[in-house]
Amino acid sequence: MKKSSIIGIIIIAIAIGVIISTYADSSTYGTFSDAQETETELHVVGTLQKEKELIYNPKKDANYFAFYMLDNNGKECKVVFRGTKPQDFERSEQIVLTGKMVGSEFQASKILMKCPSKYNKDQVEIQEVSPTSV
Amino acid sequence: MDVQFEGEHLLPGQLGQFFIVLSFGTALLAAISYYFATVKDTLDDSWRKIARAATWLNSIAVIGIGACLFYIIYNHLFEYHYAYSHSSRSLPVYYIISSFWEGQEGSFWLWMFWQVVLANILIWKAKSWENSVMTTVMLSQVFLASMLLGVEIMGTRIGSSPFILLRNAVEGPIFSRPDYLSLIDDGNGLNPLLQNYWMVIHPPTLFLGFASMIVPFAYAIGGLWEKRFKEWPTTALPWALFAVMILGAGIIMGSFWAYEALNFGGFWAWDPVENASIIPWLTLIAAVHVILAYRHSGHSYFTATFLTLISFILVLYASFLTRSGILGETSVHSFTDLGMFGHLITYIMVFTVLATVLIVVRWKQMPITQKDEETYSREFWLFIGALVLSVACIQVLATTSIPVFNAAFGTKIAPPADEIQHYNKWQVPFFVVVALISGFAQFLKYRNTDSSKFYKTVGIAVLIAVVVTALFVYASGVYTNFMYIVLTFAGIFSIVCNGRILIDSLKGKWKLAGSSVAHIGFGLLLIGALVAAATNDVISVNNTGVGFGEEFAKDNNPRENIMLYENEPVQMDKYMVTYMGDSTEGPNTYYRVNYKVVENGKVKEEFDLYPNAQQNAKMRSIVASPDTRHYLLHDIYTHVSSVPLKEEQAEEHHEHEGHSEEEDYDSPTTHQVNPGDTVNYRNGIIVVKGVNMNASIEKIPLAKGDVAVGLDLEVVDKGGRKFKAQPLYLIKNGNQFDFPKNVDEAGLRFRFSKIDPQNNKLELMVFQKPQAEKKWIVLKAIKFPYINLFWGGTIIMVIGFLLSIFRRNKEIKTV
Repeated sequence: MKKSSIIGIIIIAIAIGVIISTYADSSTYGTFSDAQETETELHVVGTLQKEKELIYNPKKDANYFAFYMLDNNGKECKVVFRGTKPQDFERSEQIVLTGKMVGSEFQASKILMKCPSKYNKDQVEIQEVSPTSV
Repeated sequence: MDVQFEGEHLLPGQLGQFFIVLSFGTALLAAISYYFATVKDTLDDSWRKIARAATWLNSIAVIGIGACLFYIIYNHLFEYHYAYSHSSRSLPVYYIISSFWEGQEGSFWLWMFWQVVLANILIWKAKSWENSVMTTVMLSQVFLASMLLGVEIMGTRIGSSPFILLRNAVEGPIFSRPDYLSLIDDGNGLNPLLQNYWMVIHPPTLFLGFASMIVPFAYAIGGLWEKRFKEWPTTALPWALFAVMILGAGIIMGSFWAYEALNFGGFWAWDPVENASIIPWLTLIAAVHVILAYRHSGHSYFTATFLTLISFILVLYASFLTRSGILGETSVHSFTDLGMFGHLITYIMVFTVLATVLIVVRWKQMPITQKDEETYSREFWLFIGALVLSVACIQVLATTSIPVFNAAFGTKIAPPADEIQHYNKWQVPFFVVVALISGFAQFLKYRNTDSSKFYKTVGIAVLIAVVVTALFVYASGVYTNFMYIVLTFAGIFSIVCNGRILIDSLKGKWKLAGSSVAHIGFGLLLIGALVAAATNDVISVNNTGVGFGEEFAKDNNPRENIMLYENEPVQMDKYMVTYMGDSTEGPNTYYRVNYKVVENGKVKEEFDLYPNAQQNAKMRSIVASPDTRHYLLHDIYTHVSSVPLKEEQAEEHHEHEGHSEEEDYDSPTTHQVNPGDTVNYRNGIIVVKGVNMNASIEKIPLAKGDVAVGLDLEVVDKGGRKFKAQPLYLIKNGNQFDFPKNVDEAGLRFRFSKIDPQNNKLELMVFQKPQAEKKWIVLKAIKFPYINLFWGGTIIMVIGFLLSIFRRNKEIKTV
């Protein structure tokens, strides 16, 4: 057998190993209840509980941001993030948290939010027109 | 009933739509004609004539689309959805160019435009390759044009047109009014993050890179199709180098834009969108290397073909990832779905099937050698290097494709929790191997090498590299991690080996310079990226924050943002940092932050940085952009992470107007005083000088029995300023009144509210203006060491590619 074929096979074996380990490395999507049961970090998808206030007071601590989120099962949980309040946070439609449960609080290491981006939304915002003008 | 809408400009849109259909038709005609020109062995070249004419018409149509779209955006014709969503009246002209390609349709147009430019160059230069190569290029043009069609065929919309009218794109009650246009006076504007000069040149460069990836692909297809197996790698090589150079420059420009304008604090975040563009770049680099191996030794033919073909398919896959909306919740900056999901998959499938079928059909005829490579030969190690690069790509691809995997198999796998760490763990070893090979392979000759001589030269290079690595690792402080040291060594080793070759080339072997320069650039880039990413240091660490409970304090995480009050210096790393105030320019507020290095009471260094933030009143949010102090060996990168919202304050103030005057003050303090007494207030003292028994009040005549008394006050503030005031007390017709006095300069208001004759006391009420809210910003500052190696390495690498293109272009001898 050719040397390059042997090496080719070895490389393919490594590649398969890489792919398998990629999925081993991968995290899972879960709910706050799942987070309570596990020690590892996971992703929780949900929406901002808009009825409760956001806690961010840079004058007190610029690196403490807390809010309440409802996961996809509707369970509410306090989320704490060590950093500043992300821009546009109030308008987020969906939030993806990465982190883990510490006590009764979910400590997020990463927050990803989906906003109805002003820049690619297919809705026209025209405030000055009242519906009665139709 | 048809409504006659007022004030719409329908002509540019109709003209543009006509050009889109024309470009689609001509691309189709050109592809078909080139196909027949290739397969028909007729002596006259009538098919080719038709194909060329169609391609030229296609060029005119593409330019026409661009002109119409530009006209619409430039003239703010907001009846068009594209202009409404991506621009506004206040946008400066040079950013109108960026808004042009902010949307998907505009970026498809950009791709089309470059593709047709390349098509024209191919007609001019490709000679005997024109027919077969252009068949593939124009087939791709058909697909791109179809993405813009925006017509409905059998209930499904094909593509998305940039000329769609706002009233057709969006539902809304106002669109039943004939004069709806008068109600829309401005567009949505361009995303402020894109209002950066890098966004004017980064997309065109990136898309020229993507577009030029088709040329080596088309040559490979043409080579297999016309059985010109041995010819195509040579002709395709300069094109592949060109694509690699442009795409590389485009990717790094994006990275530089992220570093200069975005506040995610770095130059590479392993975001799926970034990954999607770097994968085809790496596979084409691998392809370039095995094409060389094949040219010089006849080995690795299949690998060269495969990598060239897969690179373009990966470009299509990248556009699928970014444009189909499939990345959804894993990426912040992918496009939203415009209903092109199936369309994009068709595009990928057609080109994949085309490539696969040709490989299968021609498999037996391909010049695949059965000989074994020598271990001490350059072609062998080029092959290994290309394979390692490919595996590195597979790793990135696997993780980036998790959402695709989920969509295909209905699973719910989330990306790794710590993505950056995950990628680095894999990519560092791969790039160690690649860098080492790129070093020692320089001393190997094609076919075979004298091994003892080889070991001697490599041995010297290793020694030099070890010494340099030791010094560098010590200086830069990357010795904390073993893999980092290994990668640094690999990069330095590659630089040393290629430096040696470069010195040789300066002695006369000029044509070798290209590759060694590119490799040196690559080595520098690796080291720069590693050191900047591994040892970047958040210097705005805050240890003064008040804890928010036990649980929170337990976690000893560094708090990476620092609070700065105006004119209150804070020590941060070696800098004394002071927030000096802000200024507003257009939509941007610039925060002046002064950095000072004080040693032994002397200011050794001082500079100001102006990180800015765009305040958005409607959204009550800020969009921050960093400012960076560049040094030769490191950068100080600064951005604001939170600032008080201006509009909010203005609103508050507004609300209070029209209310009782005393609401503007803090709740009063009441004092029982006698002449000679002193009352303290926040900013100084108030001295009661005496009582004026003969006070008179304007416009109020005093009758008999009425009493008007004034209280003589003197205010001395902490600045030593003195003010006088005399609040009055009046008894008229048996009723008590008092007349307050304000001292606006001191922010005070006095009321002489009562006389208590029994205790012989006078009552004084003191009102103070609330302390002016101190201005503040929350700041994050990061030190990036050796980042200039990263940018510098990139520039050197691009120069190396350019030199190589000239060299390889001279080697082509086609008719």
